[in-house]
Amino acid sequence: MNVTVKLIGVFQIGRFKEAVCEYPIGTSVRKVVDELLIPDPLLGIVLINDIHAGVEDLLHEGDTLCLLPFIDGG
Amino acid sequence: MKYLTSDPASEPSSILYTRCTVDLKYGKISQQDVPCRNLEDVLGGFGRSFQILAERNISHAYSEENPLIVNTGLLTGSSAMTGLRTYFSGYSPLKESKKGLPAAMWSTGSGNFGAKFKWAGLDELIFEGRSATPVYALIKESPEGAVVELKPADHLLGLSTHDKMMVLQQEYGSNAHFATIGQAGEQWENVYFGAVGLSTDNQLKSGEDKMRFAGRGGMGSLMGYKNLLALVAQSSDKIKALTPEVKAVNINVVKGGGAARLQPISRGGGGGTWAAYDVLQAFHAVPVNNFRPQGNDLPEQLFRTRVEKEYVIKSEACYRCGITCHNNIHEKKDDGSAGRFLAKFDYEPLNLLGTNIGIHDAGQAARLIHLSDNCGMDSISLGVTVSYVLSYNERHPDKPLLNGATFGDFARIEDLIIQAGHGKLPEIGRGSKRLSESTGETSYAYHVKGLELPAYQPETNPGYAWAIAGGHMSMATYGMLTREGKSDMESWVQGITQTKLQIVGFDMIGLCKFFDITKGICTQMVVDCLKSELNLDVTTEALAASVHRAFLRGLALELRQGYEKEEYTLPAEVWERANTNIKLPNITSPEFIAELQKRVWEIFDPQLAGLAA
Repeated sequence: MNVTVKLIGVFQIGRFKEAVCEYPIGTSVRKVVDELLIPDPLLGIVLINDIHAGVEDLLHEGDTLCLLPFIDGG
Repeated sequence: MKYLTSDPASEPSSILYTRCTVDLKYGKISQQDVPCRNLEDVLGGFGRSFQILAERNISHAYSEENPLIVNTGLLTGSSAMTGLRTYFSGYSPLKESKKGLPAAMWSTGSGNFGAKFKWAGLDELIFEGRSATPVYALIKESPEGAVVELKPADHLLGLSTHDKMMVLQQEYGSNAHFATIGQAGEQWENVYFGAVGLSTDNQLKSGEDKMRFAGRGGMGSLMGYKNLLALVAQSSDKIKALTPEVKAVNINVVKGGGAARLQPISRGGGGGTWAAYDVLQAFHAVPVNNFRPQGNDLPEQLFRTRVEKEYVIKSEACYRCGITCHNNIHEKKDDGSAGRFLAKFDYEPLNLLGTNIGIHDAGQAARLIHLSDNCGMDSISLGVTVSYVLSYNERHPDKPLLNGATFGDFARIEDLIIQAGHGKLPEIGRGSKRLSESTGETSYAYHVKGLELPAYQPETNPGYAWAIAGGHMSMATYGMLTREGKSDMESWVQGITQTKLQIVGFDMIGLCKFFDITKGICTQMVVDCLKSELNLDVTTEALAASVHRAFLRGLALELRQGYEKEEYTLPAEVWERANTNIKLPNITSPEFIAELQKRVWEIFDPQLAGLAA
C-alpha cells in the first residue's frame, strides 16, 4: 500500500519533508517510525489524515501520516 | 535551611528556613529562622510566598505595604539538574481584576543568581517599604551565615539590565551573580511589566548580554517602585558531591523524554523551544499579527532552517545544566564563524516580537528582543501589547494610536519599544488590558485576567482562564489539543482541575520545568533527589497534594482580589471572529467555554471552601 509520509521540523534532517512510501498491508505507525530511525523521546505527535493517532495504529492505502516532534514551554 | 526531621509532610515545623527582612524605608535589616507551616512552605517558591502575600490586604501594587519576596526552592543550589531557580513574588502592578485590585504574582528564572543566593546562606529575602534613594542589596556569605547590606545605587541609574551587571561584576568579581532591573523597571510609573534580569556564567565570562529573566507580572517594576535597582549574591560555590542516585536522575533528565527534545539538534535533540514553530505551523496555529494565523507559510520565515542560513546559532546552557536549551543568535562572519551576539531565540520572545507583530526578518526580531531584554521588559507582555496597538491601527488607519505603526513596520515598532522601555509610552507600558479599556475595543486584547497570553493560540487552550500566574507556566494545558489531540470536555476538566495544574510544582521546589515538564514534581526522580540531597522522605502523593493546595491558594487569592467568575475566560475575538485557518477542532465556542466554566467551578468551589486566602 502507498502512504504519504510527512515529517516536521528536525525529523526532516537526513530524511525528507514529504514522500510517498510503499509498505506492506498491516504496517503500523511504529514500524514506520522505527524504519525512519526517529528516536522515541523526540516523537511528540502522530497524525493520520490530520487526526491525532498513536504509534500502534495501523495504516491503510492512501493514508497521510504526519510525524511531529514535541512542543514544550516558551 | 535547618532540617530537624526527615518527614517534612508530617513535621513541617521541624524544618526552618532562613528569612531576612529588609525595611527599605529605615534601612533596618533583621534575620530569623522561621519554622515551616506545611509542606508548601518546605518546598518553597510561590508555595511559601503566596501564603505570606495572603496575610496582607493590598489594594495598590505601588504601596509601601506590598512586599517584594525573593526566595528559592528546596532544590535550588543542589546538584539536581536545573536546580537554579529564583522566585520573585508580590502583588503585581500589571495583573489586576476588573475591580482594579492587584493580583498576587510570581515570576522565576534560572541563571546563577539563585544558587549563589542559597549558598550565601539565605532562603528568603523580604523587602518592605521603599527606599528614598536608589539602592542595591548585597547578600554575602560569612562564617556566621548570610550578611545582607544595602548600598547606594546612584551609579546604576539609567543602565540596562546587562550594563548594571557588568558594573557590579567589576566590583564583586567572579564569586558574585546578579539580579537587576533595566530602564523599564526604573520607570515603574509608566511601565508595569518590568522584568528582573538574572546573570549567567556564560554572560559574565563572555561579556555578552546572555541573561535569563524572571519576566512575568512586573516584579521588576515593583523593584523599581521600591528604588531597589539590583541584588548581588556573593558566595563561594557549595556544590555537593554527586550521589549515585542524583547522578542517575540527572542522566535521565538529560537523556530521557523529559528534556531530550530540548537538547541541541547537533546532539540529536529537538533544538529547544524554537521547535514549536515547526510543530504549530503544521496546524496553522503559530500566532500571526495579533493571534490571527492566516493559513499561509509566513511563519516559516523564522524557522530555524531559514535563520541558520544567515546567522550562527549557538546552543548554550545555564550553569551546569546539561539540557542546553538556549539558542543564541550571532552574526555570521565571512568564514562562517560566530560574530557579534544579537539575541536569544526562545519561542515566546521570537514569536511575540517577531511573527505576531508582522516581523519576519530574523535580524529585526533579534533587535527587538535585544531591546526588550536590555531595557528589562517582559517580552510576552510587551509583544502582545504592541500587537494590540498594531491591530488597532489596522482597524483605524485614519486615526491610529501613537506613531501609527502597523504590522511589519519595523522602524515604527522599534521606536515604540525604545520609547516604552524608557517609560515614555504608558499606553504600552501599562499593558494591553488598560490600553484596550481606554480605547473601548477589548475583544482583541490578548490577555486573560490582565496578564498577556504567551505564544499559544487561545483557540488551542481554554485552560488559560485558570492559570494563576503566566498562562503556560502555571497551567500546562497549552499542549492538550495540539500535542495530545484532546477535544472532549472530560479531558479538559480533568486537565485543568487535576493533572495540568501540577506544573506549578516546579515554581515551588527550585527546578526548571524542563526537568520533567509532562509529569511535574510528583515523581520518583524528585523523591530520590530529596532523599539523596537532603535526607527527606516524601512520597509522590504528598508532593502532588502539596502542589494542588498551593495552586488552590493562588486561585483563592485571585477571588479575594476581586476576580469574578466571568473573568475566567478568553479574549472575545476567539469566538466573535472564529479563525477557520487553524486546523484543529474548535474547543472555544461560547457553548464549550460555558460548559467548561460550569464543570471546572463545580470541582474547584468545594476545594476552595476550606482554604482561607
